[in-house]
Amino acid sequence: MAVAKTQADWELLARRSRRDRRIKHGLLIAFLTLVTIPVIVPFFWVFVISISARTGGVESEVLWRACAILVPTVFAYGVAHTVFRNTRQRIYSALILVLLAIAGLAITVGDDLHLYNYRFMVNPNLVEELRGAATAGGQFPWIWVAFVNSLIVASTSMALKVTVATLAGYYLSRFAFRGRSQFLQGLLILEVFHPWMLTIPIFLVIFWIGLLNTLAGPILVLTAIDLPFFIFIMKGFFDAVPWDIEMSAMTDGASRRQAFRTVVLPQVRGGIIAIAVLGFIKGWEEYVFVTALRTGNSYWVMSTYLYYVAEDVMGVDYGVVAAVSVIYIIPSLVLYLFCQKFLTQLTLGGVKG
Amino acid sequence: MANVELRNLTKVWDQVTAVDSINLEIRDGEFLAVLGPSGCGKSTTLFMLAGVYLPSGGDILFDGARVNDVEARSRNVGIVFQSYALYPNMNVLQNIMFPLRFQETRDAPAQAREMAELVQVGELLERRPSQLSGGQQQRVALARALVKQPNLLLLDEPLSNLDATLRLTMRAEIRRITRELAVTTILVTHDQLEATTMADRVVCMNVGRIEQTGTAEDLYLRPDTLFVAGFIGSPPINLIRLENRQRALLDVPDVAETVGIRPEMLQSAETGLPVTVTTVEPMGRETLITADSNLGPLRFLEATSRPKWSAGDKLHVSFRPQDTIVFDGAGQRVPDLHAAIG
Repeated sequence: MAVAKTQADWELLARRSRRDRRIKHGLLIAFLTLVTIPVIVPFFWVFVISISARTGGVESEVLWRACAILVPTVFAYGVAHTVFRNTRQRIYSALILVLLAIAGLAITVGDDLHLYNYRFMVNPNLVEELRGAATAGGQFPWIWVAFVNSLIVASTSMALKVTVATLAGYYLSRFAFRGRSQFLQGLLILEVFHPWMLTIPIFLVIFWIGLLNTLAGPILVLTAIDLPFFIFIMKGFFDAVPWDIEMSAMTDGASRRQAFRTVVLPQVRGGIIAIAVLGFIKGWEEYVFVTALRTGNSYWVMSTYLYYVAEDVMGVDYGVVAAVSVIYIIPSLVLYLFCQKFLTQLTLGGVKG
Repeated sequence: MANVELRNLTKVWDQVTAVDSINLEIRDGEFLAVLGPSGCGKSTTLFMLAGVYLPSGGDILFDGARVNDVEARSRNVGIVFQSYALYPNMNVLQNIMFPLRFQETRDAPAQAREMAELVQVGELLERRPSQLSGGQQQRVALARALVKQPNLLLLDEPLSNLDATLRLTMRAEIRRITRELAVTTILVTHDQLEATTMADRVVCMNVGRIEQTGTAEDLYLRPDTLFVAGFIGSPPINLIRLENRQRALLDVPDVAETVGIRPEMLQSAETGLPVTVTTVEPMGRETLITADSNLGPLRFLEATSRPKWSAGDKLHVSFRPQDTIVFDGAGQRVPDLHAAIG
């Protein structure tokens, strides 16, 4: 009797704990979905505007209709995810929901969607088409010119930052020299000052060395601004690589440089990728210094392009602004998604052994 | 395979003398252990031999040629670190092949495989170091150190990260492998058991100096200094400082300042020195007994797993005079002199 009673109790407890776990899981998904909405909706709205706005004004109707389809879909999947236990069922339910959502969107907003706002991608003379040649005097470029310039600024400054920060971080981590600790403190103190405070001196320096109105100006300035922090990060990564390994490589017959390249560098790969991504994104979205270091329209990058599209006094075409924004976001977004793993490592402050 | 000689080798770090003018000769094919407490300069000596540290003074000679200024990578020395220092970004085979990258080697993978077989990691070649157990990492590190057929193999506390049983196996394994390859080997350790079981000859170091060089037996039975006597042996030797009171109880020569007796050389007896047992510690095969006497506390071993005595018992202990070791005021052993119960 006693045994039977105990068994019944175990089953009851197990059932209760399974049910509790499901409820908790479901609540968690609901909560996360709710807090994600304020983050997602603005981006989604920009995207919706870019593919639906016709008159140049902002229309929220398409957004609400799309949300009316998408929000229930997301919640339906949350429920499905909680109810179904095995992966296959979850995948099938997700597929069905996605198909339903697409069908729903096609019916409700399908007729309002178009790509006309993206015409700037194929039309080099957007402004002239909008307002006639008089407005911008042909100075406003094709978006791809700005896009390529932005790529040049972002990737060149990234390459400089990564190279200098890696070598300097290694040296600071491995070699004792007079003034090393003061140097490290200096790096931190530099972080206290916001670089915008230095805009005027930087402008003068760039002017005196003759790099005003060239892409080299913002490239060098951006590199200098990010370096202190990046050097510090890389020093942390190198500190986490044991000495033994380097000594071992050198007794194995490697020169110091070979040991650095073959044994040490692969172990700080995470740090290098992280600062590369951060460095690239910083250069990609830079606005202040690219604006400050040109006196006319000597060069265009994506941020200035977007600014001029948005700041047109003759009347803004929000559809175009949204479309430019979407194109502008894509590279950062892709990079970020692929390298997320390495960026989160940054907070751990180094490699794990 | 080389004959290695150290002449007045010295290393000074910012005022601190880590290695103080040591002289040592290691014969071709010999297995030498450098034994000492942490901070005695043994690892510093090892890294100077490897070429990682530059000596502050003195010379290092390989086969009679001075190599002080020869870079680490050109010395052809293999080294196994305490942490093993395997390259985490490479698999086992790549790790073992690493030293061959820098030499003109005809068939590197085959040599590496052969070495992996010798240290018995032949099945693990594709694994990463993080997927290996401590003992396997140890074997890989050994294979990597040996694959280039070094002049000299240096082992820096290679067993201290392993658990007790594995340590026993690896001790024998390392001995087997070094013997098979007849490579000159220097083992640095703070574990006397490791030193005495593996090495042909043991060098005992303390605060940068060599205290004694000799076989394990020399160090145990005929320690040159008080430090060696106290450092070697577990449970540790009884060292009796001779004040007036102790002198009255013992028949000792005048130069003697300290008398040493190994715990196993003391026996309970019908007559002899009266003692009172304070603690009884069964150690498996033997029992360690600590007792108070007029000479001070004494440790002795009873060869039984079931102790005859318990705390508070009064008994007598005795020893043979030839088993005692006599040290003078400078802590040096005085040969051929002994102490007896007076």
